Amino acid sequence: MLIDETHKKWRDFSLVFLLVATAFYCWYPMRPPQGRNGGSAVGIAFGIIGSAFMVFAGLLGARKKFPVWRLGPAQTWMRGHLWLGLLSLPLILFHGAFRFGGTLTTVLMVLLVIVIVSGVFGAVLQHYMPRMMTREVPLETIFEQIDSVRAQLLEEADKSVAAVCGPLGVMAVGSRKLPAGGYSERGGATPAAAAAATPALALTEEDSAPLRSFYLRQMRPHLEKPGAGDHPLADPGKASGIFEELRKRVPPMVQETVEDLEDICEEERQLRRQARLHHWLHGWLLLHIPVSLALLVLGAVHAYKALRF
Amino acid sequence: MARFTRTTKKLAQRIDLQYFKRSSPFRRWRFLLSVGLTALAVVWLAWQTLARNNRAYSSGQMATAHSLLATQCAACHVSRTGVFREHATNQACLECHDGPLHHANQVFAPDCASCHVEHRGPVRLAATSDTNCTQCHGSLQAKGGSFSFAVDRNIEGFHSRHPEFAALRSGKGDSGTIRLNHSVHLRKLRVSPNGPEEIQLDCDDCHRTPGDKRPWRFGETPSDRDEAQLRTAAMEKPDPLRPNPTRAYMAPINYSKHCAACHLLQFDTKKRFTEGVPHGKQPREIHEFLMNKYQGHIANHPADLRTIPMPDQNLTGKPASPLAQNLSPPQWVDEQVAEAEKILWRKTCNQCHTLSFPKGASLPEVAPPNIPVKWMLHAAFDHNAHRMMTCTSCHAGATTSQLTSDVLLPGIQNCRQCHRPVLDAAESRCFECHTYHDWSKEKPVKGRFTSQELLHGIATFPQPRDAEPGQR
Repeated sequence: MLIDETHKKWRDFSLVFLLVATAFYCWYPMRPPQGRNGGSAVGIAFGIIGSAFMVFAGLLGARKKFPVWRLGPAQTWMRGHLWLGLLSLPLILFHGAFRFGGTLTTVLMVLLVIVIVSGVFGAVLQHYMPRMMTREVPLETIFEQIDSVRAQLLEEADKSVAAVCGPLGVMAVGSRKLPAGGYSERGGATPAAAAAATPALALTEEDSAPLRSFYLRQMRPHLEKPGAGDHPLADPGKASGIFEELRKRVPPMVQETVEDLEDICEEERQLRRQARLHHWLHGWLLLHIPVSLALLVLGAVHAYKALRF
Repeated sequence: MARFTRTTKKLAQRIDLQYFKRSSPFRRWRFLLSVGLTALAVVWLAWQTLARNNRAYSSGQMATAHSLLATQCAACHVSRTGVFREHATNQACLECHDGPLHHANQVFAPDCASCHVEHRGPVRLAATSDTNCTQCHGSLQAKGGSFSFAVDRNIEGFHSRHPEFAALRSGKGDSGTIRLNHSVHLRKLRVSPNGPEEIQLDCDDCHRTPGDKRPWRFGETPSDRDEAQLRTAAMEKPDPLRPNPTRAYMAPINYSKHCAACHLLQFDTKKRFTEGVPHGKQPREIHEFLMNKYQGHIANHPADLRTIPMPDQNLTGKPASPLAQNLSPPQWVDEQVAEAEKILWRKTCNQCHTLSFPKGASLPEVAPPNIPVKWMLHAAFDHNAHRMMTCTSCHAGATTSQLTSDVLLPGIQNCRQCHRPVLDAAESRCFECHTYHDWSKEKPVKGRFTSQELLHGIATFPQPRDAEPGQR
């Protein structure tokens, strides 16, 4: 989420609230004999407000589960999640008077710090990375559809090459299992081979050999297993050189096909980049959300026990 | 053939519109971790409950004195039927610490736990916060009470608005009647008990705590019996914050140890007796001592009845009688006793003691010494805790004091140099000097727990007894 001027009210409110809470924290030990104490009236008040902020921040997940409920704009919930969640840390520190207390309270403080730190980290990423994504991945797609798009890119590449080189003798796109012996350059060697297309251009076997060889030996394995990061086609500079070399070796009539293949490689690289950026952009949630849930559950137990004892 | 152009429409057509109905690895991991971590937390709490270990819920480490009870929450947190809260009660504290009332005139009775706050780590529970004290003593409130002196009504602690010590505040001076010139005694003296030699007295040649067993430089090492005598009632008073009261206060000055080596109590001008008059006796007893001494002497030395005035002793300038006097023994004794008493009452005793001569009385009256043992009657002080310091760093006036009435007690500003409410300074909270329970009135407590209960769990808490409300 972009932290811009639309956050001004929340930011100002949070700052004022923090200042008032800090002033109160400094003042209140003058009154009760025990000094700053989580069990004093003011200490409990800090705890209740801090917990309420944490619960509100936690409700963002529930709000997302029911997007059609008329509970206010999701943007507002997100801003509240950010700022009130952030405020909960100083309030809980004031509640405990900067003491971690016993085992449960120590665990709670550690969890809270993890949640806040991971949340701030995530907020910073969410502020900067979407713009980076737009800039670096113009062909961005839905993250969950990346594998599907890759399969379509492979199919697209297969068709392009088959159109000029004839049947490739590779497995049909969509069946993701590779033959044990790999792909046949001439087709027909693999029993399951099904990818076939009627060549639109009648190239001799000699003319099509460089393209077929390049595709089946280098490009198709790269599209099939994009995880191999050290592949030459994964590097834009090396890929450009490879395709430049290929252009010199193929007849002029298949130059467009080569450009198609180059575009497909470029899109594949963008998908790789998107996947990497997506992992950064959302990976922190694997820590933030589970720890938040544990924090809320243990916090409820702490509240019960503390009020009772 | 036509190229595969990437129009928006073509890109959009790639998307499977049902994709969101299927779980992605990222969502699956998020769900699994959320459930797993929460379950782990719940299992941990369940395990603590099954193991009957409530220590996890403790709000902090117990004080050192209560560390054995760290796992025995029920020892203090008493459960009552129908009551949700299980806060530590006064009753639980009184089971082991049946202390006396804090103050007879206290305006309210705070709970034990409001002053002695537990779960704050290995701290001394007796070290209460100043605000515990100043909530009443800040303005010296008392139930129907009033105070004989005016002080600031908003005492915040020793460091702020605490009144000057009473002995210095009153302006009355030292109530002692023994004449002592500190200045003279702290100069270099030309005569020592061993003869004419230059000596320099130190403070501890006269002022020591009863617990100090070092031999005296100019006096006898006291016996245990003397030690016991030196302990005054004030020093014997139990003080929970002072583990070694025999080293806390200076013992009163004692003639035989501190003065006798130089200040002999000789009474006979002809030096017929080696010893002086006994110290610590009243004039009548001294008179009888002298009578006995001279009667015994004249019985053994009848030739002394013929007295011949010695020319060198006649300082009047008048011509001395050429004739010797023949006196009866009683006359001789009376004459010698009168001569001795003249020396004692006018010089020897009078040098230190305050003597008065009532009309018609033949013997003087000696004022009681009235040497204060404790200068701060409502506070405790420990000289032993300050033993690393020189005496004059606090009692700076001692080197120049010439009058008995000079109060050499250092003022509060002197103490505040070290006792400040900051880090790296000496303790300055109220309890450092003021005790708040009179433990001399402590009631006997009957133990209720077995060692096994303390170590392995207290199954049931003792039934409440008839605890007096406002006991503390």
